[in-house]
Amino acid sequence: MCGIIGITSLTDKNLAQITVSCLEKLEYRGYDSVGVASLQGSILEVRKAKGTVKEVVQKKNILSMRGNVFLGHTRWATHGPPSDYNAHPHTDCSNSIAVIHNGTLKNFKELKESLIALGHIFRSETDTEVIPHLIEEYRKKGFDTFTAFKKAVLDLEGSYAILAIVKGENRIYFAKKDNPLVIGMGEGTNFVASDIPAFLDYTKKVVIINDGELGYVTPTSIYIEDLRGNVIDVTKRIRIIDWDAQAASKEGYPHFMLKEIHESARAINDTINGLLSETELVEEITERLKGSDRIIVIAAGTSYHAGLYFTILLNRLGYTALPVIASEYYNINAKRGDSVIAISQSGETIDVLMGIRKMKEKGATIISITNVIDSAISRESDYKLYMRAGPEIGVAATKTFSSQLAVLLFLYAYLAKIDYKELLSAPEVIKNSISLGEGIAKKVGEELALQKSVYYLGRGLSLPLAMEGALKIKEIAYVHAEAYPAGESKHGPIALVEKGYPVVFINDGELTDLLENNLHEMKARGAKTYAISVNKRLGAETEILIKVDKDILSPFAISPIIQLIAYYASTAKSLDPDRPRNLAKTVTVE
Amino acid sequence: MKGVILAGGSGEGLSPYTMKRQKETIGILGSAVLEYVINGLKKAGVKELIVVTNKERGYQVEEILSKNTEISFELVIQKSQGISGAVRDGLEKVDEDYALVAYGDIITTEDFYVNLMNAFLSSGDKSVFPLVPVSEGLTTYGLVKIEDNKIRIVNEGSTLALAGAYIIKKDYFDDILSYISELFKRDSARYFIWSGLWLDIGYPEDIIRAVEVLLSNKRNSYISETAEISKTAVLGKNIIIEDNAVVEDYSIIKGPAYIGKNAYIGSYSLVRDYSDVEEGAKIGAYCEIAHSIVGKDAEVDSKSYLTFTIVGDHAKIGASVVTLSYPYNKVIRGKVNKMGSLISPYSEIEAGKILQPGFRI
Repeated sequence: MCGIIGITSLTDKNLAQITVSCLEKLEYRGYDSVGVASLQGSILEVRKAKGTVKEVVQKKNILSMRGNVFLGHTRWATHGPPSDYNAHPHTDCSNSIAVIHNGTLKNFKELKESLIALGHIFRSETDTEVIPHLIEEYRKKGFDTFTAFKKAVLDLEGSYAILAIVKGENRIYFAKKDNPLVIGMGEGTNFVASDIPAFLDYTKKVVIINDGELGYVTPTSIYIEDLRGNVIDVTKRIRIIDWDAQAASKEGYPHFMLKEIHESARAINDTINGLLSETELVEEITERLKGSDRIIVIAAGTSYHAGLYFTILLNRLGYTALPVIASEYYNINAKRGDSVIAISQSGETIDVLMGIRKMKEKGATIISITNVIDSAISRESDYKLYMRAGPEIGVAATKTFSSQLAVLLFLYAYLAKIDYKELLSAPEVIKNSISLGEGIAKKVGEELALQKSVYYLGRGLSLPLAMEGALKIKEIAYVHAEAYPAGESKHGPIALVEKGYPVVFINDGELTDLLENNLHEMKARGAKTYAISVNKRLGAETEILIKVDKDILSPFAISPIIQLIAYYASTAKSLDPDRPRNLAKTVTVE
Repeated sequence: MKGVILAGGSGEGLSPYTMKRQKETIGILGSAVLEYVINGLKKAGVKELIVVTNKERGYQVEEILSKNTEISFELVIQKSQGISGAVRDGLEKVDEDYALVAYGDIITTEDFYVNLMNAFLSSGDKSVFPLVPVSEGLTTYGLVKIEDNKIRIVNEGSTLALAGAYIIKKDYFDDILSYISELFKRDSARYFIWSGLWLDIGYPEDIIRAVEVLLSNKRNSYISETAEISKTAVLGKNIIIEDNAVVEDYSIIKGPAYIGKNAYIGSYSLVRDYSDVEEGAKIGAYCEIAHSIVGKDAEVDSKSYLTFTIVGDHAKIGASVVTLSYPYNKVIRGKVNKMGSLISPYSEIEAGKILQPGFRI
């Protein structure tokens, strides 16, 4: 996912400032690198760098750029790490054409090879860069720019929203397929962007672009045709946004968190496909793990729970695996022969970074799992693995937790000699779990929202999931929650249980018989019991039961439900689950 | 975009009440259910409405629409059968590719419709179907299962339901559910989840729940300056008292509660716990009203006790009538096994009657 904006105007007044303000609104779509192109007559200038909008605007003095036409791009890396070179816009060999793109081109390798054979010189690792070179190539063959642009688009396979500008032309060419793109009609200034809120401060007049359409905008006109060349009547597409569309980026969902829970299936799918494209690396890592004296898994918050899940699996396989809460890294005396798995969504978590630095000094091998490509943690690692969950806006981790589990279980499948194909149905399990459980999760969340305190109990592999459930409801619903190994609960915690005290059991189906005893202990003291169960019913008063074919899929059935319970507890208290108090998405201070 | 509102159903779940009053025109906290829908559509930028209703009670729908002068409407009398027929009849009057179809019996916040419009704009030429989580009376909803980017209509195995409003591409179809499935199969539709306030008014418990939820959302009290409140009356928290309402000596409005315009609460009466006394209704002395709604111009005579009860407009409840509500195990969508009486508009209950849980007239 990336955010794109194009502006073409009769005047160059404040256009750089407007472009930056649009980019700030699009930053939720990606925030690893930013680039801007300006065009004034035959002067085309591109400034781009790795970093957030604020950082790049300052570093590259974007506000000093002048032009009647601007392109802006905020990137979320999928091909090639975030870097100054890989940031958009990309240009052709003669620096006459600048292109920004949101999407993935499946056939870019073939296109790149044939363009290189024709003498084109590429400067980035991105799929996008083929587009300006294709347009250049067709223009060389004598086609006018629009025909060249169309021919280039017809060569592309995959998904795209593309904006292109060419020296000497006061217009923006665009094409859309399977990625969002919409036109904003202003007075002498027209916009093309990934979403409406990007330009809503400047115009409320919108023209919808459908999949498979392309065209161009000038400051005063809009031209659209479909891929068969049929001209679209733009006047029929105009809509006036006379309602509050500032929240349109949530695509109807009231909160990013709920949207992101529902994106978990796609996130896991992309994560597994990413791993399948680098099985050699996975094999190399698993060989390294097999030869390690100890496997230390270091992470914080939600990532720690994913890590704990993995260490239980490793210990069961006979490895010596240590889960380490990142901020307590100084307790661990790592040594040569140890492997360290560092897990962090942002890849910037300071405690994890400090931990791996210390352990690396001592000679341990560092393997990182991050969502942000080429993050600080991945740069300092010997082996880098990535989740491919896409940007996560909600402060509470949701789809990235499921994606972390997917990466770790993929490694586990290799170590345990289980067919990794068993994981391919994980997205299906997530969707089924949400369909079956969201209504009940809402009911449970609303009930827990009324409580001061709650226990989450589990055994074995259910315990890290119980801990994650407790963390989620604390984070976003401010309900005190404590997770405990169910068997340990009678050594203290049960003293608090009285009539109506809520206890949530996480039952992944493996140790149901033992959990039943704990359930009876709680029921006998009047506890109000809930269960999230896989394959075997536990017998709680309120229970969500989800069936899965393979044991390895159990956490994917449970994770969306614990997240939804916390989400609905938060909304029942009229809180904003996307912005919990006192919390930051990325923790960069010790 | 034009709005097509469906307001012509038979309202079986609220029968026989709905023989006298079209479900969508039932008043809750001073507004007809339909008005909650209209306000939402207005907020979402809809300026023209096509309202599909029935021959028998269409005039009641028209009355409500005529009150809302800011939005133009065309009333369509339903020709074809069922919900599919109603959607078809409505869409027939639409001269654009897409329309926002809204079921007139949904109570939700205005943001629901705004979000629907936003989802449509970001979908890029696709129909959009909001879904809501449900946990009670599952079989009474249009359940769907999520599969890839699609949804599949199912009868069981899901707790997500179609949310009673959607933006849909105009096309010919026989059955609306098959058409929705078809749109998803063709990758011409998207869904999103709505987690906010949402109630489908289909059963008595839904009306009682609506009063509860809507009053819970109004956090501050409001007492009209023109209301006549006795100095000896006791007013609790979270209450609304509208213009010219009269609250007599020693009565207690404990709240959360709503007292409509020109309503009358007699001496020593107690109105408590999510009760709604609509415009012009009269509650005699020494009554107790809890978890109940008393319709427009209805009368409840002295010493009566109403609990989990719905009294229709212009109905008359004699003196010392007692409604019982517990236990009642046939509640379909409620969270408690309590249900009082459903008393249709213009009907009369003799003095001294004890009405059993779930009584309907």
